[in-house]
Amino acid sequence: MAYLQARRDFLKIATTGVSASVLIPGSLGALGDVALKGEDKFIRSVCEMCSSRCPMEARVVNGKTVLIQGNSFAKEMGTSLCAKGVAGASQLYDPQRLVTPLIRVGKRGENKWREASWDEALSLISRKFSALKERYGARSVIFSAKTGEQYDLLRSFASAYGSPNIFSHWSSCPIAIESAFAHTFGEKLYRDFENSTYILNFGHNLFEGLDIPLTKAMAHFSANPSKKLVVCDPRFSIIASKADEWHPIKAGSDLAFILSLLHVWIRDGKYDKRFVDEYTIGFDQLSDAIKEATPQWQQTLTGIDAKVVERIAAEMYAAAPRCIIDWGHKATTTKAEFQRTRAILIANILMGNVEKEGGIFFAKTAERINTLACEKVVPELSDPYPRPRINEPRLDGAGEEGEHRFISRSHGILQAIPDAILSQKPYAIKGWFLTRHNPLVTVAYPQKMKEAMEQLEFIVVNDVYLSDTAMMADVVLPEATYLERDEGISKYSFKSPVYAMRNRIVQPINHTKNLIEIIRDLAERMGFGSHYAWKNITELRAFQAKGDAELLQTLLMRGVASFDVPPLLARCSSSVERFCERYPKSHLLKDTQGLFSHMLHSLKTPSGKIEIFSAEIEKAFKGYGVPRAVDMDVTQGYPYVLTSGKSAVHTNGHTQNIPYLNMLLSSNPIWMHPNTAKAHGLKMGDTFYLQNAISKEKATVFITEGIRPDTLFAYMGFGRDAPALKRTHAKGTNPSKLLSLESATLCGAMITNVGVNIVKA
Amino acid sequence: MQKQYRLLYDENLCIGCQACSVACRMENSVPDNVYRVQVHMKTLGVFPNLGMQYERHSCVMCENPPCVSVCPTNASFQSKDGLVHIDEKSCISCKYCILACPYHARFINPLKNVVEKCTFCYETRVSKELLPACVSTCPTDALSFGDMRQKESLVHQKSQKEVLVFPKAHLGTKPKVAFIPNRKGIKS
Ligand code: SF4
Ligand code: SF4
Ligand code: SF4
Repeated sequence: MAYLQARRDFLKIATTGVSASVLIPGSLGALGDVALKGEDKFIRSVCEMCSSRCPMEARVVNGKTVLIQGNSFAKEMGTSLCAKGVAGASQLYDPQRLVTPLIRVGKRGENKWREASWDEALSLISRKFSALKERYGARSVIFSAKTGEQYDLLRSFASAYGSPNIFSHWSSCPIAIESAFAHTFGEKLYRDFENSTYILNFGHNLFEGLDIPLTKAMAHFSANPSKKLVVCDPRFSIIASKADEWHPIKAGSDLAFILSLLHVWIRDGKYDKRFVDEYTIGFDQLSDAIKEATPQWQQTLTGIDAKVVERIAAEMYAAAPRCIIDWGHKATTTKAEFQRTRAILIANILMGNVEKEGGIFFAKTAERINTLACEKVVPELSDPYPRPRINEPRLDGAGEEGEHRFISRSHGILQAIPDAILSQKPYAIKGWFLTRHNPLVTVAYPQKMKEAMEQLEFIVVNDVYLSDTAMMADVVLPEATYLERDEGISKYSFKSPVYAMRNRIVQPINHTKNLIEIIRDLAERMGFGSHYAWKNITELRAFQAKGDAELLQTLLMRGVASFDVPPLLARCSSSVERFCERYPKSHLLKDTQGLFSHMLHSLKTPSGKIEIFSAEIEKAFKGYGVPRAVDMDVTQGYPYVLTSGKSAVHTNGHTQNIPYLNMLLSSNPIWMHPNTAKAHGLKMGDTFYLQNAISKEKATVFITEGIRPDTLFAYMGFGRDAPALKRTHAKGTNPSKLLSLESATLCGAMITNVGVNIVKA
Repeated sequence: MQKQYRLLYDENLCIGCQACSVACRMENSVPDNVYRVQVHMKTLGVFPNLGMQYERHSCVMCENPPCVSVCPTNASFQSKDGLVHIDEKSCISCKYCILACPYHARFINPLKNVVEKCTFCYETRVSKELLPACVSTCPTDALSFGDMRQKESLVHQKSQKEVLVFPKAHLGTKPKVAFIPNRKGIKS
């Protein structure tokens, strides 16, 4: 009864907003009260309010979701979820959300639309894309998405269409991490926070950029008096407030601090020599490269006392291998981002924490577990998204000879798009298909990106809201929210493999569509329907699971499937022993010390070993083969550095307009130290301008002791131009508007620390 | 008294993420822009010697509730389990209780024009052996809840181990919400 009451109240609340505001064409509010089908049950699925994709469950009453929580079948989650995840229904029922396809009627970007049927919208898209392909070649169309299943799907569609120009959001977020791992270990590793005793953190703020299992582990870590957390961050972030030590490091100088740690360890011979000898190459080159990087040397660069480096180096060595130097989540600070992240990985290597409890470890995928067990203990999945390689150069030169040679051809560099479009080099670009991707908020220099988009002949945006980027489209497809979508199976592999599946919680409002359905339909209309072995989501799931009905049933009922594989660390004898007891055939793979050391002897690097020095990189980028002090300046001659990051209640450019989350944080005043504010005559809440060579942006000041006097900070995702985002429109500052299109060397990361002036309004 | 409920808030685990606040809103259909529970954060100290204060704001379920003694209609009452509730039908919105509550826990629900506050989700969850929505949702396990007479419960065990603080203890209201104070950073 109480739930029914709750539902009625919710509808009342959801609809009060409607009458009060002017209706957006195509929005849910424009439909009036929505008829919903009745049911009452728990459904388990996967969240999509950020990219962490936590398993969750929703209670559904009368076809309407009530409370969303964590999915306790995923044991690291319990019933925990963050504010964004819990607010899922607030997006689902937001009257400002789009539920009808829109076709542009005014000039591009003018925000004039007419509503269209799905059939009309999809037929227009397929006709236009077929025409572009005919006239300019398939490569003239760009495809972009966030990472995850939608990206895999779009990448497959791009390749069926024939375009090499597929982009993920990597270059605006984790690209330096992915690249550093590829060149060091051949693949990405994970962190065992639970069992660690010492963690050195460089602004990886898991308490504001939440990922529930990691956040929970980190919270228990930092609250435990017998463990130690050291945070280096120019800002007193939430995680800094939970640290045993906070060092307000100068923005952009992490690399200097890590190099001097390496210096101390090597100078004193305090590192895991046996590990370095057995598993790595290139130690000598490293030891040459860090000769000058003394604790004194780093002092002026970082602002951290030399004694602190000496002490932290000694403490970490004492804690090793149960220590982690954390590489973070988003690595887009300076031009030296690749070197910074590589230095962090190498610091872990010197501490010998690889495949050790409390250290870092390789993902135990189904394939890896089956190989180690010497039998098939975990079902493997087929890939439902085929992607033949397109033998054409990409517009950004990713993967070709030249400065972007090491950049993944399947992720690309977003910052290269505007120049390629405007200069028509290397060739003409005419169209763009974006799915839930909002580069005009999340990518550097959106002013330029907008100018470039104006030149295009045809743009399609698939999104839940009429965002800044959607406003530039010819056709806007109103996607079903994740609560209304069935999807395929996604893999999560940590110390053992886990699968998860997104299951529809409620029927799609106004028959909005899933991207899987949209793409399948477009492929059919454009004549390459045979690219996909499946016709609908049910077939897709069956194909992916190779007909394993039990697996599918589990994923339908529980949202997640784990396989009771004992967590495995290859260099931890008790863990290897437990594994071998369970899977007796694997005894044969043990070395004389009872370890699976062979796993680390045949990596996907050119040498097969862990590469402290990369000959391949040295050849193409002289001096980059090992970490070195380069490119740390982030001020470009300006007196202040503007930095940006996340709050716990918003994701990048995506959640700011969602009612419940907007109520918690609706703007982003710029953090400023009291002395800085005083020097510029600013009082709390005053308006001022942030200015550099790129732009001059209006801002409001938030005065706090929690930031260095030479640094400023903004929560990202505000400063929206789109009038349809009524709660966010013209509130706060979009820090991207002050960023240049320059990319970090070698890895292509966008650079988000930027020099600015403070100018009084 | 049949139960001795306690809600334990560990400031060391709290990250101020407001998941509790949104979960409460969903569970109890709390109208826009009012809150039954929120966590407030404040930076303390002078750069670079800083600390962060985390404070849960909600009804603390007083054993001696001033809100109940001032209520002219008995709309505010204490149940046999010691929880303080509001009978919506008898409430005349005179706001005496709002003034009397030293914890600023009460507000007028603008849609129903009656007084509301945290109920520990008694009706929809606790009476059905479920945890309050905030406790269930908290990403860091900063909240625990239960009957203190159950010795094996987390709430009981944590209470034995830690030094607890009862907000505004000097007022003699005897709250059922207890805090484990923050151990890190500057304290004032
Ligand atoms: S959900 Fe938990 S961690 Fe987040 S603010 Fe509430 S009590 Fe704190
Ligand atoms: S906290 Fe306020 S509302 Fe709650 S019981 Fe005490 S006096 Fe009453
Ligand atoms: S507002 Fe309602 S509950 Fe509060 S004192 Fe008046 S009648 Fe009692």
